[in-house]
Amino acid sequence: MRERVLVGCALLAAAIPGLLFAPVFGWRALVAPIAVVLVGCYLVVELCVRFPPLRPWRPLLALVVGLLGVAEVELRDTTLGGLPTGATLRALGAGVTQSWQLALQSTWPVRPDAEVLLFVPLVVLVTAVLGIEALRWPAVAALPGVAALGLSQVFTAVTGPVATAVGLGCAVVVAGLLVASRPRPGQPQPNQPQPNQPQPNQPQPSRRAAAGAPAARGRGAAAVLALPTAVVAVIAAVAVTTVTQGRQPAYSVHQDYAAPAPLPRAVSPLAELAARLENPDVPVFSYTGAGRADRWRLVVLTDFTGVTWTPPDRYRRLGAQVGPQPVVTVPTAPRSARLTLLPGLGDGPWLPSQAMPASVTGAAPLIEPASGVLLLPDRPGPADYGLSWWEPEVDQAALAGAAVDPGAVSEGGLGVVPPGIAELARTATGGKRPSFESALVLEQYLSQNYKVATGANLPTGSAWPQLREFLLTSKRGTSEQFAAAYVALARVVGIPARLAVGYRAPRNSAGDPVVVHNRDALAWPEVAVAGVGWVPLDPTGTAAGAGAAATSLGAVTAQLRAALPPPDPSNPAPPEPAVPDEAAPVPGPPFPVLPVLLGGLAVVVLALVGIPLLKAVRTVRRRRRPGPRGVVAAWLEARDLLRAHGARITPGMTVRDLATAVAPTAGQSVVDGLLRLAGRVDTALWSGAGASAATVNEAWAAVRDIRRGLAARPRLARLRAVFDPRGLFRR
Amino acid sequence: MSGETASVSASEVYQRIAANVQRVVRGKPRLVRLAVAALLSEGHLLIEDVPGLGKTTLARCLARSVGGSWSRIQFTPDLLPGDITGVQVYRQSEERFTFQPGGIFANVVVADEINRGTPKTQSALLEVMSERTVTVDAVRHEVPRPFLVIATQNPIEMEGTYRLPEAQLDRFTMRLRVGYPDLATEVMVIMGDCANVSPDDLPAVVDIPTLQAAVAQVRAIRIVPAVVEYAASLAQATRQHVDLRYGASPRGSIALVRAAQAVAATHGRDYVTPDDIKEVAHPVLEHRVILTPDAELNQRRPDVVIDQILAKVPAPVLSAEGR
Repeated sequence: MRERVLVGCALLAAAIPGLLFAPVFGWRALVAPIAVVLVGCYLVVELCVRFPPLRPWRPLLALVVGLLGVAEVELRDTTLGGLPTGATLRALGAGVTQSWQLALQSTWPVRPDAEVLLFVPLVVLVTAVLGIEALRWPAVAALPGVAALGLSQVFTAVTGPVATAVGLGCAVVVAGLLVASRPRPGQPQPNQPQPNQPQPNQPQPSRRAAAGAPAARGRGAAAVLALPTAVVAVIAAVAVTTVTQGRQPAYSVHQDYAAPAPLPRAVSPLAELAARLENPDVPVFSYTGAGRADRWRLVVLTDFTGVTWTPPDRYRRLGAQVGPQPVVTVPTAPRSARLTLLPGLGDGPWLPSQAMPASVTGAAPLIEPASGVLLLPDRPGPADYGLSWWEPEVDQAALAGAAVDPGAVSEGGLGVVPPGIAELARTATGGKRPSFESALVLEQYLSQNYKVATGANLPTGSAWPQLREFLLTSKRGTSEQFAAAYVALARVVGIPARLAVGYRAPRNSAGDPVVVHNRDALAWPEVAVAGVGWVPLDPTGTAAGAGAAATSLGAVTAQLRAALPPPDPSNPAPPEPAVPDEAAPVPGPPFPVLPVLLGGLAVVVLALVGIPLLKAVRTVRRRRRPGPRGVVAAWLEARDLLRAHGARITPGMTVRDLATAVAPTAGQSVVDGLLRLAGRVDTALWSGAGASAATVNEAWAAVRDIRRGLAARPRLARLRAVFDPRGLFRR
Repeated sequence: MSGETASVSASEVYQRIAANVQRVVRGKPRLVRLAVAALLSEGHLLIEDVPGLGKTTLARCLARSVGGSWSRIQFTPDLLPGDITGVQVYRQSEERFTFQPGGIFANVVVADEINRGTPKTQSALLEVMSERTVTVDAVRHEVPRPFLVIATQNPIEMEGTYRLPEAQLDRFTMRLRVGYPDLATEVMVIMGDCANVSPDDLPAVVDIPTLQAAVAQVRAIRIVPAVVEYAASLAQATRQHVDLRYGASPRGSIALVRAAQAVAATHGRDYVTPDDIKEVAHPVLEHRVILTPDAELNQRRPDVVIDQILAKVPAPVLSAEGR
């Protein structure tokens, strides 16, 4: 009996951490696999008591039985008549390596699929087997349970009464282990099955019994010390919890994981909007049972670099159900519909959805929790799925005076705002501070002053150049330009906004199923309203009356829109002042054509006359220098002459180097002149003989020879050399 | 010949030796000019090129053209330092040790294929090349003056050779490359070979006193401070060039000026011009600079670096005078 109590405690120590995964998977999903593991382990223990020869094989037997039980309960599809197959083994292996990751990548509660859940019963099984095998040392037997408990708490920490209950449960388990393991006088030690095989490391019962009385006294003293410590610890824990509760959520590894979303290389639905509108009759998807849905979104674009709009990319696997977003404090009602995707939707990975999806049946998509975008990587063409979502129920009073939620767009961005846009945005909102009302004023401004483009040759693009063209010049665009311009203008004046792309529900949505066509493609802006979440707007005015009945949000928005005061006539349609900014040039003073022409002419004449004149003056001054300086002046003259004729001069060049350099292109007389000049330079500068007037004259005679040699060059080259100014400025 | 010592100028000495050498070494006047200039500056000469281009021939021609003693040491891996410097030998008849001079005791020493000697043997040349003395068993022995080492080496073989250490390279005033001859020259060389003109047939055209007088004349050749500064600037520039790990030493600067003086003498001048410095810059500086590992990886060559330096460092005529 005592051994059964001990085994029960070990199994309980394994069951408690397993059940603490309930916030991740839900109770129902966990009970069966955990129970089958525990029952299996218990049966194996009983079996080994009945048949002692099986005792050494007990851990292995328990593992095998536990795994078989898990396979029967969770992996029945992979078994063959109840017997495990290769697929079962592979699934169990994946359970060890992948299922915990999948659970972390998913929203919680996760779908109770075997591939995600499998690691919990496996952890329980390992914990139970280790606990049972360690029963000989009761304190050690509790350790696997503590480790599993730590794992469960890293996944999701329990707080409040549940935590207290769990703590008590653990205390009971450990107490049970300690108490039941205490040997009574004359009773053999538990887990000491064969009396004929004495365990050398264990004290004999008689010795333990003899030492029982002092040991009991020691334990009493320990309890006296432990009790106040425990009380102080509990009070401290409660105090800390009270102080910190509600300020920050409990840590969970869940925060650090996201599903690896292979971000789609597919074309953004925003970019193909115009193309869809030009082929209006292609059916894209159909739905049944969504009476009050007025729009279906494909993707939400929050980040704008000035060139591209990109969606957020922190996806999770969609679990069993997602609650309404925490920022939404108004009541919400569940809605559901059945959707069938048709080939016309293309092969993009996005699934038509609603603002706050709750669950999806028939597909396992990824979800971007902040925007509610659903993504199905590698979507196999047409698909059929059930969608349920939360719809906020608001009344006019709640929305009328609502403030915007400035923290909603943390990664918005605007790129470099072109000139004229900020002024336009302030005019369009009438200078009002950011609120839902000013958001509606901006919407009214766009819908009244800009035209929706229809037919062929629709404008495309939503980068700043196209938006500027739309806002300031053409004033004609599709919902792509309307929505993008709205979001950009709203962000300029501080209204948190984002861009949604999808489809409106067909106006005539009486049929069942309702078929959505390309003509219903729509982009629209959404603004974040405190307590309500993201409210879709309609600057094009084309989504009004969509769907069978308006949603609560749509109806209230329409009422508020109707209640807006008419545009202030004293603030006339403000794009007009902005348009001249681009279209008509600023009428400034006339361009002074004649003075500029005369000035240019003067510069040319000055250059034509001045450069040769300056060179001539320089030559005359050089020619007057006496002695060695006169020889050097001759060399500099020759160098400048040849530089003007295109010779490449380096600082390290001597006269002979220059002769060598120009030899291939210049005539022999030039080279000879340079060599004669080199001789004079050597004599004048390095021989110590100095330079007589005759030497200087000879040097300049050499320069004259060089000049004559250069005169044989083509007329154009000579002309260029005469007007080449480089020699005037370079040494 | 000794009677005409006083009347023979350094330029005349150059003319005689060059004419004598060019009877065998055809078509390489610049090479011969620089080699004789090395002789006249009493500097040692390293001739480097691939096999068969006449390195040893040139060295032997130079050695034969000068009267006085000359020796040829073929460097091999088993050559010992004592074979070069000489050893103390016990003379039984005299019952004492006497010094038996090695191959180095000559006016002109041709060290053939110097990089085949082991570093130990190569090191035996260090002292004698810079100080013109040999120390054996703590006794110094002076070598005859003038003393010239003309070494040859083959740069392409790696097997069985030992690269000359930088300290040794620095002791050579110039390193010359022979280069392939053009077609006409090669025809002349073959015909000369057929006519059995060999270095051994060459007469000595200058005797030792004449050569010593010429060396002294070369030392006295005028060089103005601006040109000396130019030479030093070139050496400085090698120390600052981005592709060079080590530039030329002050010994390199001195060698540059001495060699330029000798070249000026070969041109018949008694003063040095910047062109003389430039003419000897390549053979004097190239073997004294060490490329950075990066530059070596990028296939840069010392001669290209020296060209860059020559183009960049202002020649004194421009730096000394304004426009």
